Amino acid sequence: MLIPHPLLGLRDAQEFTYLGDASLLNRPDGMAEGAAEAFYDYVYLRDNPAGVHRELWFHEQGDRSWLVVTRNTVTHEILGAELARDVALAAKGGAQ
Amino acid sequence: MTDLAPITALGGSLARVQSFGALAIAENADLALASLALRRGAAQPVPMGLSLPGPGLWHAGNGIAAFWTGPGQWMIEAPGRATEDFAAVVKQAAPECSVTEQTDAFTAFEIASTAGAGPILALMAKLVNIDAAAFGPGSATRTGLEHMSVFVIRRAEDRLAVIGMRSAAGSIWHALETAAARLQGD
Amino acid sequence: MRFSGFRVIKEALTGYKGWGSLWRTPEPQASYDYVIVGGGGHGLATAYHLAKVFGAKRIAVLEKGWLGSGNIGRNTTIIRSNYLLPGNEPFYEFSMKLWENMEQEFNFNAMVSQRGILNLIHTDAQRDAYRRRGNAMRFAGADSELLDREQVRAMYPWLNFENARFPIKGGLLQRRAGTARHDGVAWGYARGADLLGVDLIQNCEVTGFRIENGRVLGVETTRGYIGAKKVGVAVAGSSGRVMAKAGMRLPIESHVLQAFVSEGLKPFIDGVITFGAGHFYVSQSDKGGLVFGGDIDGYNSYAQRGNLPVIEDVAEGGMALMPAIGRARLLRAWGGIMDMSMDGSPIIDRTGIEGLYLNAGWCYGGFKATPASGYAFAQLLATDAPHPTAAAYRLDRFARGLVIDEKGMGAQPNLH
Ligand SMILES: Cc1cc2nc3c(=O)[nH]c(=O)nc-3n(C[C@H](O)[C@H](O)[C@H](O)COP(=O)(O)OP(=O)(O)OC[C@H]3O[C@@H](n4cnc5c(N)ncnc54)[C@H](O)[C@@H]3O)c2cc1C
Repeated sequence: MLIPHPLLGLRDAQEFTYLGDASLLNRPDGMAEGAAEAFYDYVYLRDNPAGVHRELWFHEQGDRSWLVVTRNTVTHEILGAELARDVALAAKGGAQ
Repeated sequence: MTDLAPITALGGSLARVQSFGALAIAENADLALASLALRRGAAQPVPMGLSLPGPGLWHAGNGIAAFWTGPGQWMIEAPGRATEDFAAVVKQAAPECSVTEQTDAFTAFEIASTAGAGPILALMAKLVNIDAAAFGPGSATRTGLEHMSVFVIRRAEDRLAVIGMRSAAGSIWHALETAAARLQGD
Repeated sequence: MRFSGFRVIKEALTGYKGWGSLWRTPEPQASYDYVIVGGGGHGLATAYHLAKVFGAKRIAVLEKGWLGSGNIGRNTTIIRSNYLLPGNEPFYEFSMKLWENMEQEFNFNAMVSQRGILNLIHTDAQRDAYRRRGNAMRFAGADSELLDREQVRAMYPWLNFENARFPIKGGLLQRRAGTARHDGVAWGYARGADLLGVDLIQNCEVTGFRIENGRVLGVETTRGYIGAKKVGVAVAGSSGRVMAKAGMRLPIESHVLQAFVSEGLKPFIDGVITFGAGHFYVSQSDKGGLVFGGDIDGYNSYAQRGNLPVIEDVAEGGMALMPAIGRARLLRAWGGIMDMSMDGSPIIDRTGIEGLYLNAGWCYGGFKATPASGYAFAQLLATDAPHPTAAAYRLDRFARGLVIDEKGMGAQPNLH
């Protein structure tokens, strides 16, 4: 598999390590009401879809960026990649 | 008395050099390295008059060079200055940045071809899964080489540098030597 | 039809005209007492034990493809009970005991071969860990022997004992472990279940569940609606997507594991060997092929095929351990999709939905569990109480902090 790194172009997936579902970016607030339940969900439960999956890959033998890669789990086709930082910042409203 | 004469990463008193047909591989024991990282929100510096390159690039000038290692991060190289406190020099030139001495963490191998780009591209094709044709002079990247993490720099059409972990110097040399010898048909 | 030596000779002399189908091909009925979803090893063993041990009637197994098309026919056939943790070891030892009687019990040759498994030791710390594991195994009634280097050398003199980084310092041996013919196990349970009246329905994919007031009433399938008092789901790598149809999210990711077979070689490996420093394990089939494997590919997948980096990794592990295989040619490689659970251990439990039961999360190690998993799941379905050796495999153990994490990797499925 080749991952289209947003800064470095197509790179061998072997250079990366895999973490899992990109929802791991959305860590719950540990102080909020119902935090234990929210953390159970966050740590353990997964959508695990057969089809398009957004997932976190770390460019370990590369520039050490975290990427959000969109990939089809049935065909292994890679549909796109973004810097996880950009995704996380956009989710927070774009502020730096 | 204890012999305190320094040895190179490969363990010799002199840096190792070996030729394989058109290719020569040389241990570069004199290269000073310091990493430079921007702090949050900081402006990009121009240390010692060197403009820092963008992603995937290497840039030389004013007797030093730099290559991009990650967003907001570079490695600064100074040939022939391994015994100086080069990190202190860089820190002085970029006081707002985080600077870390890296000379003793890494080891560099300089590969030169006497037959132009051809042998360099052939060697790359054997060693790293990087599109060699698109990796022209001025390119630099970190990648995997026989499971070891290395920086690869195309210093010129006919020159390639491989910089890897110092503790893996022997294994990197072995990989380079084996690939170069095979190209030669040995 | 009963299998026996006499019967084999008789058929050989009469042109094999007397062998019939091993099971019927029934049309699905409108409803059953028990519907088992998934005709792999676990689903078939569940149906068999439901009928045989718990006397249940009106049972169907619904399989979307053909029986044995999933992991039961894709694994590397290792059976063993050499786990460490109290939540696991008694269950796998129970399974080992069932393996020892299975063929007589269901009258089918599953080629169960107790040829022994040897886990190699390469460091002092590893020896301590294996000594502890060996003791844990004995506590659960399993057998284990700690071997020193020379004892290992006597068994397999051609291993690479002098590897500079991973010298072999000994091994943990379980003699009762071994291999079994994977699809023979599926066929044996299928035939046994069929003889007890279970309907095995192939080409019947479950596409949804009919659930009312928190109770399951039946399943929607590609062959129409089938009512059921109780539904047991045992779909191995597809648990995530099947249970999503019941509105559940699971502590599971689906991953691909590859397996490999070399060309046939003269017999030289008479047991199972696992490399303790890399990811490589190997046995030799009766046809002479080396059957080997390594790590999972490491990313979510439903593709039933892996990628080349893992093939390289496995080959490198093999070469480090036994350089003699360097010239053997690889004949075949394939992949299977497995449920990788968040602690590396399985789930056999009720769900929040009345009448809906789940058997899932077997990771890369569910073949050895086939008989016990079927037995325990049948007991749960029939009596609503867990089998004592499977009582720790609860679905709520993650929420309650009672994970069974053999490798100590945490909630990172691709590292288990
Ligand atoms: C390469 C590889 C090597 C392995 N090696 C070993 C080993 O050496 N030792 C060991 O103990 N374990 C091993 N395993 C693990 C073991 O094979 C599995 O854990 C075990 O087979 C899973 O249970 P099963 O047999 O019921 O699965 P499967 O045979 O996969 O059965 C599940 C069935 O459910 C069906 N299904 C899915 N969705 C639906 C639906 N919607 N409706 C109807 N049916 C459906 C599938 O078609 C499939 O037939 C290995 C696995 C792999 C992939």
